[in-house]
Amino acid sequence: MTSTKPLDQIRAELFSAFDQHEWVNYDRLTDWLRETDIASNALKVGDTAPDFLLPDWEGRLVSSARMREKGPLVLSFYRGGWCPFCTSELQALHGARAAFDEAGATLVVISPDTMHFPRDLRREKGLDLTLLSDVDYGVAISYGLLFPVPEDVRTHYLERGVDIGARHGSPVTMLPVPATYVVRSDGRIASAFVDVDFTRRQEPEAILAAVRGAVGA
Amino acid sequence: MELHQIRYFLAVAETLNFTRAAEQCNVTQPALTKAVQKLEHELGGPLLLRERNLTQLTDLGKQVMPLLQRTFASAQAVRARASEFKRKDVAPLKVGLAPTVSASLLISPLGEISKHVPGLEVELVEGAPDELAEMLLNGDLNVALVGGDNAAGARIDQWRLFTEKYVALVPTGHPLTQKSQIGVEDLAEAAILERVGHDGDEALRRSIFPEAEPPFRHRSRHDGHLQHLAVAGFGVLLAPEHMPHLDELSAVPFRDDAPRHSIHMLVIQGRPYSPALDAFVKVARVKDWSAGHGIQPSAGHASALAV
Repeated sequence: MTSTKPLDQIRAELFSAFDQHEWVNYDRLTDWLRETDIASNALKVGDTAPDFLLPDWEGRLVSSARMREKGPLVLSFYRGGWCPFCTSELQALHGARAAFDEAGATLVVISPDTMHFPRDLRREKGLDLTLLSDVDYGVAISYGLLFPVPEDVRTHYLERGVDIGARHGSPVTMLPVPATYVVRSDGRIASAFVDVDFTRRQEPEAILAAVRGAVGA
Repeated sequence: MELHQIRYFLAVAETLNFTRAAEQCNVTQPALTKAVQKLEHELGGPLLLRERNLTQLTDLGKQVMPLLQRTFASAQAVRARASEFKRKDVAPLKVGLAPTVSASLLISPLGEISKHVPGLEVELVEGAPDELAEMLLNGDLNVALVGGDNAAGARIDQWRLFTEKYVALVPTGHPLTQKSQIGVEDLAEAAILERVGHDGDEALRRSIFPEAEPPFRHRSRHDGHLQHLAVAGFGVLLAPEHMPHLDELSAVPFRDDAPRHSIHMLVIQGRPYSPALDAFVKVARVKDWSAGHGIQPSAGHASALAV
């Protein structure tokens, strides 16, 4: 496995660069998500994982049912190529690619970004990952991860030059709570990591441990 | 946000009656009301106005409804995946193409969809954008690709797929082929072939012919016919960059500052997507349309970051 910094360390570094507006926005969004209890909708260990057919970054269709025939399927929901916590997470997953292959798992990362955005992200960060576009949020809502972005948070991102709705081709701005699922070959969820604090992500090592558990089960 | 909340809201939006919506969804009215209220809370305002016997959509309700319909349809497609795709049913997909949109654009998306949608039956229909919009509304088409920034009707979802240059198609050996790029001034003396029932090149035509259009002498509605006229030396044919052309013709692109032609996808709002349409729309909204069609991509986008 390529040595990369632990995500916790990257998180601390990103925090140290926050300006005042970013702290306000961070508190506002995470408080709102806790207050509306969005995460309670999320699918849990033992639930049946909904199958899907989504386009990858080149517009090729990818079927979850076909992927899980080969072994455990790791689904990592990220917010988009505009979120530095997401891009750090994807880089860490990229670094762990060989370990996922060795463990016999298929790894895909999913966001509602459409058009050229997943292609740009993959190229700019040199990611050897399968990036899928959750067009119109059908998969995020099926996993219970979808929420409408509050207006003031949306405005904050717009002021930073990120029009999330436009990236999604959507008149309403929605996002998934970042989450990582390990789905067994039989379609059951073996592991679920869901955190409304969008700065916290599951370390690749922890996902790999869940994958090994899913294979052994 | 949960799927059942969307389903209940869409039922109220359709029936404009909480009692009937609850019956339709097979839940009690208090349960339906509670779910809709939770959705309203998450979306930051009321979606429905409730006045005694009258229920109406608020502006926010009207604004979010098309997207919630699409998200619901998309999630239904997720659920239907396992059962429907294994059946060998016929999966019709009727695609409308405006005259400036070549079916060559569909080669890769249709190939992709046929791998996953058994029983796919494709029908391609050519028509002017307003004819295609009418056919969409009547349910005679599932999706249409049209050129130009035509404002689609209120009940039509529209996505811009890509933009491209226009080129001048001229016979090999024509003086214009000496140039790597052309401007309006290069066409001052040229006979231009008229594209009847054209779509989308209005802005381009206005920029090329700001005063008055040249006196066209030769015309057709069909791109293939126009290309044969161009080969026969009857005039210069202005065509979108992606359009495949006859071997006897050379394409000379306009300069970078010329207006670009944009291709849009149109789909009716609020109708359930068939598995074939669902797959087509998803592929269309992600794929790189410039690849394989000789289209120069427009300027890159700076990737902004935000937390």
